[in-house]
Amino acid sequence: MNAHAGMAQITAAKLQHQVIYVSDLKQSTDFYTKLFDLQFSAHNHPDSSAAMRLAQMEMHFFSFGFYHHDICLVKHHKLKMDNGSMLHFSLVARDRSAFDAIRQRAKGMGIPTRDGRLIASAKTSPGARAFSLQDPDRHWIEIIEEPSK
Amino acid sequence: MTAVSYVPPNVLPPVVQKLAPLLKRRWIRELVLMPPTLSGRRISNKTEDYGVFKPSRIAHIDQVSIYVQDIARSRRWYEKLAGLRHSRTCEEEPHPVKEGWRIRCCYMSAGEHDECLVLVEERDPAGKVTVPSGMSFFHTAFELTGNRFEDVIGFAEQAKEAGFVPNYGPVRHNGETPLGDGETGGNVACYFYDPDYHNIEFCAAMDTIENYRARYGDTKGSARA
Repeated sequence: MNAHAGMAQITAAKLQHQVIYVSDLKQSTDFYTKLFDLQFSAHNHPDSSAAMRLAQMEMHFFSFGFYHHDICLVKHHKLKMDNGSMLHFSLVARDRSAFDAIRQRAKGMGIPTRDGRLIASAKTSPGARAFSLQDPDRHWIEIIEEPSK
Repeated sequence: MTAVSYVPPNVLPPVVQKLAPLLKRRWIRELVLMPPTLSGRRISNKTEDYGVFKPSRIAHIDQVSIYVQDIARSRRWYEKLAGLRHSRTCEEEPHPVKEGWRIRCCYMSAGEHDECLVLVEERDPAGKVTVPSGMSFFHTAFELTGNRFEDVIGFAEQAKEAGFVPNYGPVRHNGETPLGDGETGGNVACYFYDPDYHNIEFCAAMDTIENYRARYGDTKGSARA
């Protein structure tokens, strides 16, 4: 294969996990575990991980319940995070009741929500519901209900 | 359009990228971790030391939208390296969260995941495309077709033949030789910077509740680091 050979033979099958910068690991961990019931699966710290020590980062791993990690939160101890490289990410609720529970929990936590797809041009399946909210670092998170679920 | 040359502060310098494979040597990792080891502050970072794997309210990640300077340039990169398919590119639309700003979206699909990645050109009220900061996310990870150890190795080889240079990997995020880097999750991975220096991981064979006991038995996490 050369540089102009086009499509690769082994290709990306699907999104697997997303690792976002946060400014306060405890605050964000509380947010994600309380709102989504994410499972805390590992903590890579400069005192546990050579890579984290060299990179001056600390990382909390969270599982949706099947893979070791699906969402990770990273605190960079030297650099300041911002919202300048990612517009949003979307999470699919496990089922209809989970979608409703997340929205109800957000309301209970005093988190403002915004109905519908965040990006107007995003596809909306018939019967699907969606809403968005911001985490403590103003990352936009969209929660989607897949009608078949 | 002409992209602005900007390297985010979190991008690994070339010399660090050259040295990073040394983390696959356990004695190097031990050397790096000597201060917390000697001071008694060292902790374990491994999975089975935590009670995990109960269902959450979330099934999976559906979509990630990232800012890019030039949709055409980024689209070519994701098509060529990752094999993503172009689904559609939309006309400009109002920015969903910034009054007076506009965005243009290019939707890309992976083999089993429709419109999973959105490449977003963001324009300020003066019409100028913004330069991605690189500081919102550390990386985005795609699982490769096949989802096996050898698929990542094969992917890294085909990427190299096509002229792409990883910034890290292939490695395995555990302590197993020869690729283990002492990290967490068991996934085999290689990482590449896209044209805007977004760090993109291509991985396979991550630990799951179904396989991690078979893979590691009752070995404590601290013994696998």
